[in-house]
Amino acid sequence: MRIQVRRTGGFAGIERRAEVDTSGRPDAPEWQALAERALATGRGTPPPGVPDGFAYEITVDGRTAYAADPQLSEEQRELISRVLKEGA
Amino acid sequence: MVRCMTTNGGSEPVIRRTPVFCGIVPPHILDHLAQHEDQTLSDAALRTLQHDSAARTRRRVTAVRTLTTAAAPAAAGSTPHRTIYDAGHRTDLPGTEVRQEGSESGQDATVNRAYAGLGATFDLYLKAYQRDSIDGSGLPLNASVHYDVNYDNAFWNGDQMVFGDGDGEIFTDFTSSVDVIGHELTHGVTQYTANLEYYGQSGALNESVSDVFGSLIKQYSLGQSAGDADWLIGEGLLAPGVHGVALRSMKAPGTAYDDTRLGKDPQPATMQHYVKTSRDNGGVHINSGIPNHAFYLLATALGGNAWERAGQIWYDVLTGGELRSDATFADFAKLTVAAAGARYQAGGEESEAVLKAWAQVGVQAA
Repeated sequence: MRIQVRRTGGFAGIERRAEVDTSGRPDAPEWQALAERALATGRGTPPPGVPDGFAYEITVDGRTAYAADPQLSEEQRELISRVLKEGA
Repeated sequence: MVRCMTTNGGSEPVIRRTPVFCGIVPPHILDHLAQHEDQTLSDAALRTLQHDSAARTRRRVTAVRTLTTAAAPAAAGSTPHRTIYDAGHRTDLPGTEVRQEGSESGQDATVNRAYAGLGATFDLYLKAYQRDSIDGSGLPLNASVHYDVNYDNAFWNGDQMVFGDGDGEIFTDFTSSVDVIGHELTHGVTQYTANLEYYGQSGALNESVSDVFGSLIKQYSLGQSAGDADWLIGEGLLAPGVHGVALRSMKAPGTAYDDTRLGKDPQPATMQHYVKTSRDNGGVHINSGIPNHAFYLLATALGGNAWERAGQIWYDVLTGGELRSDATFADFAKLTVAAAGARYQAGGEESEAVLKAWAQVGVQAA
């Protein structure tokens, strides 16, 4: 499973993106479960967001969901934070 | 014209009237299309992206505007009503109250900086423009600090300010720069006045107005003239080791940073280098460099304190009631010429300087 996160906007307006490929990882089932839950709570189109708020695009094996601060679900927040931290 | 129904995050159904794309095509595809060589295709995609975002922004802000009342000039004795909350590295807002108006400063430097920054912002609006707080009617100023973990951002959520601590590697604490605090609160002022849509040129104007008054709040609090000011946004926000001086430069857009991890400051200074993109709400943090630079040119041409004549002209346009929420740079520029003539003298020094500043950045103001 390929999990991609793109973060745009924010006060700085600097884009960040990262990706995690779970194949061959011992914790793959955990990543996959988290990714599915994050997708399920996302939206099909970018939500409005707030001035200077981050906007997120989460893509899991070609399926994309959108989210924006400060209205993230717990699963989205955890997934985004882990992918941006651990992903390449 | 096609009518289609979609849902707004699972809540109320929303009717959209959008030709061709109907809001079904995911924005990243539109994004790709907007860069397509076929001009018809790219323009249609770009219009859809702009429309969709503008529609969303309108929905979001309508409720706020109905609460707005015309602001009467504030009495000189007005005082701020500040409350600082500690989000405790979580994301539930506002968090635990840690400081209120008039209380002594405590051990937490972040809390103290937020409190002081709210005060500096309140001061400029009251003393320079006789505006009583963000809404002109004494709105309490609330801010939450220590939001989330290693959070690299600060934002205005429609009701209050929110500050992250930064990750310590690229960004430091977002309260460390008073112009950042002023920038966020000015999003509140804009919300209660011109209500500029947060997309495309009106969005870049929204961002620019926040940078302009954020910088003026810093200059006012330091007693700096236009010639002495650094005209930087977010100076002190970049962690040691990052190659850069700030996040944006109004004096020289595009030169604030150039770093292997952050990339290079993408801001243009003139229309010749205007960036056409659908990202970042149509480049609101990028193209804001153009009106930012126009303001800098005006303020330094007039000399003295930038919050006086240059700031007054910008403030008159923002709050005057004629600035449309979907204004372009040219719309804004024309209103600044009119405001300079109305406030000072038609065809006078200020009007001439305003015209010249916009001409220098390639925006037609006449």
